[in-house]
Amino acid sequence: MMRTAAGLAPSSSPPLSPQVTVDFNVDDGNYAPGDNIRARYRVVGVDRHAVTAIEQSVAWYTEGKGEEDLGVILFERKPLERVEPEPASAEPLVGVISGKLPPSPLSYEGVIVKIRWCVRVRLFFVGGRDFVSEHVFFLGDVPVARPPEPAVS
Amino acid sequence: MRLPSFFSKKRGERRTGLPAWGSLGEAIYYLVLLTAGLVIGGLMLTGVAVSEWRINNQFVEASGRLIGKGLARHTTTDIFGNRRQSWRPAILVEYQARGKLVRSWSSGGLAETSSQRETAIAQLAQWQLNRPVSCWYDPDNVTTVVLKRGYNWWLWLLTLLLPGALVAFGSSGLLHAAGGWGRSEERQAAEVWGLLKRLTRGMPEASGFPAIPACDNLVNSPGTVLRFRLPTESPEAWTLLGSGLFAGLWNAVVIVLAIGAGFDVAGGRADWWLLLLLAPFTLVGLLAIGLFFRRLLRVTAIGPSHLEISDHPLRPGGSYEVLLSQAGSVAFRRLELRLELEEQATFRQGTDVRTERQVVCSEVIRCWNRVEPLPGTPFEAELQFRVPPRAMHSFHSTHNTLSWQLVLRGQPDHWPELKRVFPLVIYPSDTTAAMGAAPVSWHSGQGAAS
Repeated sequence: MMRTAAGLAPSSSPPLSPQVTVDFNVDDGNYAPGDNIRARYRVVGVDRHAVTAIEQSVAWYTEGKGEEDLGVILFERKPLERVEPEPASAEPLVGVISGKLPPSPLSYEGVIVKIRWCVRVRLFFVGGRDFVSEHVFFLGDVPVARPPEPAVS
Repeated sequence: MRLPSFFSKKRGERRTGLPAWGSLGEAIYYLVLLTAGLVIGGLMLTGVAVSEWRINNQFVEASGRLIGKGLARHTTTDIFGNRRQSWRPAILVEYQARGKLVRSWSSGGLAETSSQRETAIAQLAQWQLNRPVSCWYDPDNVTTVVLKRGYNWWLWLLTLLLPGALVAFGSSGLLHAAGGWGRSEERQAAEVWGLLKRLTRGMPEASGFPAIPACDNLVNSPGTVLRFRLPTESPEAWTLLGSGLFAGLWNAVVIVLAIGAGFDVAGGRADWWLLLLLAPFTLVGLLAIGLFFRRLLRVTAIGPSHLEISDHPLRPGGSYEVLLSQAGSVAFRRLELRLELEEQATFRQGTDVRTERQVVCSEVIRCWNRVEPLPGTPFEAELQFRVPPRAMHSFHSTHNTLSWQLVLRGQPDHWPELKRVFPLVIYPSDTTAAMGAAPVSWHSGQGAAS
């Protein structure tokens, strides 16, 4: 069974509002350290000739009170060739990113520090604008952390 | 037609933006700083340093004679309308330059300028009239003459400090902006800039475990009974060092002010404002010394704490032995050893960089009530503890940290609470692969065995 995560946009969105769906190769998007990840993405709602490049990455980042730190494990940039003149095309853009996940850091849901893993698909458009869609998955099964209750003396 | 939006928008997990504009803004900011540094540096170098360099390298030496002397007075008015005067010796020299006899006044440099007229007069007394002297004149303007040469290192330091800092800050920022030009944050992290960041990160990583700190510094000291002796991170040691530095610096300032005030009083010119200011300054200085010695006494009276451990790094679910040793002559009403996980988040708030800490797991390993010291023998206890089976591993990134530590807390008789921290590194479990369980909260044991 595949899990699908999507960055959805309403149908009335402006033209520069792609919809990206990502299918992971494990149930519920839960991976163990050392597992092989294979994420298949599909981009619709965009004229593919307006896209100059696609970057796909598997990364972890921190959330919470501190400033964001980012670690990229898998990264690939795919420039798209353009042929002039060309008609607008609504054909979806598809791609796959795969590789082995590292033993750390594990996904963590703390109080002021959180660690998240995600697949990011970033589209670069003619004119310099970009669009990034992020799809979270989990590495490991560390329980949610809560501040300890004060000791009763 | 829509106008271009220069800022990124985030809608849920989607973001759009024009990254080039962000990089451009950053580059302009650092370019302005770099340009300001170069311009200020250029002005200061040509105004101060170049003239000094010319005196030492291009001025022509000649033999001359002192034929007159006096004081050069310089008057300045500050923004409140107060006038201040400074003085320096001025010497009239007669010398031969290009076959002609020239007479010209030579003023000393900035180093000889004094706010005290008497000091300038004393300097002037060193020069005797009609005495032959060596002098150096400017070949481009023979009436410019000096009687001393050399470099003032502090003047060069002051000249180069501010523009140097601006140039260093601006150029490093500009390099950073250039490195990120047109590149997404993922691409930067994956390419050479990410590698550079990892290399310049303060704490080294454990081999094969990204973002987990190495524990080399925690396993380089063998224990006497168990395998490793853990280093201590004692907050009270830093407090002692801080209070010692404060007391030293504060009292150094007070002594300098007191010496100046003493000379004034001895010369019959009492500066009442300075004397009034000295009284509270001296009081604060004495209090700082008292506080420092009180903390020093506390550290020496309570004595050092040692902790040895049977293995390192630790793994979730693993059992470990520890040997606690507490020296000193102080009795404790309560002493406890805990295993804690602390989150640390560093963030900017305005121009400040702050670090917030939050303990999210705190398990009592052992607690003792009423610990009485025996003369000449430290209190010792051998214990065993288990790391929670689904514990998070240690983690360190530039702004966020998860630190496991053994914490010794004590309530000594007649002294404030004691806290000594022994850092640990926990690697991920080999069995982390066991998946599927629903997330549950940490269980935080508060029970105490006494």
